[in-house]
Amino acid sequence: MHNDPTAAPIEQPENTGDTPRVIKTDEGAKDGLAKCARCGATEISLNLATGNLRCGFCRAEFSAQNAIEAFNLDADIGKLVGLVLGSGSSDIVPSTSEVLTFKCSACGAEVVIDTTSSTQARCHWCRNTLSMNQQVPNGAVPDMILPFKMTKEAAVERITQFVKKRQFFAHPKFRAEFNADNVMGVYLPYMVVDINAHARLSGQGEHETRSYTVKVGDDDQQRYDADVYDVAREFDIHVNDLTVESSSERLDQNTSQNSNNIINTIMPFDVENSVRYDANYLKGFTSERRDSNLEQLSPIARVQAEDVTRHRVNETLTFYDRGVRWTQEDIVVRGERWVSAYLPVWLYSYQEVKSNGKTFLHYVAVNARTGETMGSVPLHQSRLLLVAGAVQVVGTVIGIVLTVLGI
Amino acid sequence: MLTLSAWVIENGQVMAASSSDGEGGNLGLLFLLSGPIFYVVIYLKYRNVDKRHKHESETEASLHNMQLHDQFVQSKTGLTKREMAGANNNDVRGARRKFF
Repeated sequence: MHNDPTAAPIEQPENTGDTPRVIKTDEGAKDGLAKCARCGATEISLNLATGNLRCGFCRAEFSAQNAIEAFNLDADIGKLVGLVLGSGSSDIVPSTSEVLTFKCSACGAEVVIDTTSSTQARCHWCRNTLSMNQQVPNGAVPDMILPFKMTKEAAVERITQFVKKRQFFAHPKFRAEFNADNVMGVYLPYMVVDINAHARLSGQGEHETRSYTVKVGDDDQQRYDADVYDVAREFDIHVNDLTVESSSERLDQNTSQNSNNIINTIMPFDVENSVRYDANYLKGFTSERRDSNLEQLSPIARVQAEDVTRHRVNETLTFYDRGVRWTQEDIVVRGERWVSAYLPVWLYSYQEVKSNGKTFLHYVAVNARTGETMGSVPLHQSRLLLVAGAVQVVGTVIGIVLTVLGI
Repeated sequence: MLTLSAWVIENGQVMAASSSDGEGGNLGLLFLLSGPIFYVVIYLKYRNVDKRHKHESETEASLHNMQLHDQFVQSKTGLTKREMAGANNNDVRGARRKFF
């Protein structure tokens, strides 16, 4: 196999901070026939029960090397300086084709792989499977992959349970057409980022010293006394495995237009269990190609890292029970490490056609590692409005009574 | 309908905040809004438009070499709000999920 599990870790480049340093993550990878080392067959796929790859003919099992160990990604974040990135995270060259042609080394036929949805294809002449493992600058081959762990049956069960709890107000057409067996296993593209930063936050915080009620007219009103402090915190922060979608479509999470926020919600993944990329992990699943570069993703990761910083430092601010108002936030990134990854999602999708002819794609997504499930179910608007109207009538009567009584 | 939902979410949050300030007298008003509140609760349960990955708390991070500075400035009395005006230590600015 091209990925030797016993291989020594790839030396991570030292970084002086001047130029981006690249970790070569497809070292030794080969395109074409990826054969079983024992019997030579190319029918290799993921065995969900063990997390290993298994030969479909001789049942031999093997796995790719853990990516964190292979690329030394658990190296001290505090020593990160400048930009370090996996070779599978490098910029996409616009002229690079998404559809690539490979010559089958078993029979000589030309086989086409459409990298928008897979990095494997079967030779139509000799039926061997051809894999694409070398990175070309089109975003199709990432640095690492986190294999599926949850079976399709388990995912179907979770999706069914999720929808079952949302039946009464679900659109009747959806109720009639829903079939969780249509769930698809998809590897979605993400960037996993480690950040070494130095932060200085300053502002004011308030600590409550007294809480009491005062009489204003006929009303009792609450009042508070507080001590005000100048507050500053200066520290180093190491952010580990911040995960950002790297498909422009998935990054668009405008909930009036799409339900991509559903897929976002099922994060985080246990990315530390990712392995070196091997196209055989994709057999039986589809994939979505990365189409965003660091230029687009870096500002997103920076702002999210600042959020992480602001929330993490709250553990030193428990005295300020009324809150802290930061007026100055200086967060300087000293070093960052980017690797691209395919992460596994069981995805049920349903296209709702609205009365005005517009369509809306609803998702129910299951994190195929942790089982976290989230979804969007189309609503039966008229039924919901009718019941909400009835609730309003009852509420109005109770509300008028309570208002008259001054409660 | 989404516009209505967003309006009610925003106003619901304002009401919840003012209610938590203990000003009282809002229970009747809450019942007067029971229809929109019911609509929003069901809408969110089915559509989950409010859900997102909480990157700010679900991302692993560690703090090192912490230096603290806390200097008393003054005491304030008779404040009407439970929370400090302009407190932003729980702000989240990097959420991708947007309502419009």
